[in-house]
Amino acid sequence: MLNLPSGLCLLLILAWPVLYAGWLSLHDVSLRNLRTGELPFAGLANYARLFGDEIFWLTLRNTCVFVGISVALEVVLALAVALVIDDDRVGLSRVTRVLLLVPWGVPPVVNGLLWAFIFNTQFGYLNRALLALGAIAEPINWLGHPTRAMGAVITAYVWRTTPFNILLYHAGLRGIPRDYYEAAEVDGASAWQRFRHVTLPLLRPIIAVSLILRTTFGFMVFDEIFAITQGGPGNATWVAAWYTYRAAFQPPFNVGLGAASAWVMALVLAVAGIAYARLIGRHVT
Amino acid sequence: MRLSRTRRALLIVANLAAIAFLVLPLLPVVLGALQSEKAIQSDLRSLLPRQPTLANFELILSGGALRGPIFDQVSYLPKSVERFPAAFMNSVAVAASVSLLTLVFGAFSAYTVARLRLAWIRALLSLSVASRLVPLIVLMVPLYVLFRRYGLLNSLTGVVVAEIGFLLPYAVLILVPYFAALPAELEDAARIDGCTRFGAFLRIVLPLATPGLAACATIMFILSWHELLIPLIVVSRPEAMTIPVVLAGLVSDYFVFFTLMMAICLLGLLPTLLLVLLLQKYVVRGLVAGALKG
Repeated sequence: MLNLPSGLCLLLILAWPVLYAGWLSLHDVSLRNLRTGELPFAGLANYARLFGDEIFWLTLRNTCVFVGISVALEVVLALAVALVIDDDRVGLSRVTRVLLLVPWGVPPVVNGLLWAFIFNTQFGYLNRALLALGAIAEPINWLGHPTRAMGAVITAYVWRTTPFNILLYHAGLRGIPRDYYEAAEVDGASAWQRFRHVTLPLLRPIIAVSLILRTTFGFMVFDEIFAITQGGPGNATWVAAWYTYRAAFQPPFNVGLGAASAWVMALVLAVAGIAYARLIGRHVT
Repeated sequence: MRLSRTRRALLIVANLAAIAFLVLPLLPVVLGALQSEKAIQSDLRSLLPRQPTLANFELILSGGALRGPIFDQVSYLPKSVERFPAAFMNSVAVAASVSLLTLVFGAFSAYTVARLRLAWIRALLSLSVASRLVPLIVLMVPLYVLFRRYGLLNSLTGVVVAEIGFLLPYAVLILVPYFAALPAELEDAARIDGCTRFGAFLRIVLPLATPGLAACATIMFILSWHELLIPLIVVSRPEAMTIPVVLAGLVSDYFVFFTLMMAICLLGLLPTLLLVLLLQKYVVRGLVAGALKG
């Protein structure tokens, strides 16, 4: 009885729509058809169109670049910060810990807008700082250049999402008994060796969880793309969620095509999802 | 063990770098918001505002009514300015409803997951874990079609329903470890004394799980406040827009002023930033619990 709301929610707002999206992807769903209520069967036409679309393949490539680089950055940065704040003997680490969640508290769309401002060619604070320091003579057009724009979007995204990883790793480090380090130190292990042979192996399950979570969430990135580049310049920062959004909710509103691309995306992520559920399951039992 | 002097110095520098990483990107928002557009355009190298002003905030908080000398001559104001006050109230209403409802429903489910070792309940938990990874955009395509059919588009109810659907599994994941950590003996004692199972849940379990409930409610409020894609797709009428949608409206507005935009951004991020800082203890534990111990 108590599970009724959650069960209903899982079925009605999660499971059913995913299946319904599959159904939509096999039909011709345009705004006009939605208005009349008749959705003619289209077979695999949407998928044929999807796989025949050059931008779709570019989107997949962009998504892989985005996810690969941002996940690597998130993990390395988070691990570094987690190690830095782990030492209680430095009072300042308390301050760092208080400020840890600041980027997480910023709404993603605000995060996008604020980095769009930072990277703005004329008025942005990055060019201001670089000009003031004399590092550059002329303002750099960060968002007008394909590679730089991708770098800008990744920077913004990684800034917002790294704190979550720091938290996980921090919790993980707290779970490692101090004796292990002392024992290793007595045995003459250097700081690097202690990290390599004590910290890293014991942190591995948590790193695995964070890798899966961050990879799938990276695939879903939308707000920062929307606010900073809108997929531009050209198609340089088109990523998976942006493709689906553009296909289904921007002119010409081809909802069927959007559903098809959404389904391809869900399929890719389902694999990661199953791995995550297994991993968590092993943790609990 | 004492730290050597060089190690301590290194750690302090590293901490300072970490703090810079965490807060420095917010500085341009504050600096931008405190200037007039004219001032920011006049000098492209200066970092600090020459003539700080609160005119941007006055304009936004009054919904565009209080123009003052800076905006007196301006013929065009972005729609986001006049929409801000109403959107703020919408966001409060949506985030509060989502937070409350996911908390109640989530607590029911999390309790059964923590206490009853039944196969189908375990399946429910795995399904919740897996559903965390369903991309929101995948849900939005079919939900848009369904909401269109059942008249939920352009209503705050529609936004709340969709957000609950998306967030409830996460609420369950956050709450389960808190309930699982409570000793079952307390409820057993209450039931021997004549309490029903539900009564024991209400009077014994819930009060003891207060930290978990606080964590869950706060996280849900924040995530709901941050949500852009759901209201962006569900809502197109200005009256039902939430803060992220109003902010998103600035993106396609080519006449927008950066200083004004930063002021709106600052007002939009302040509520959740304050929540995060004030209720940090709960948020941190809840996030860790929801990711690792589900």
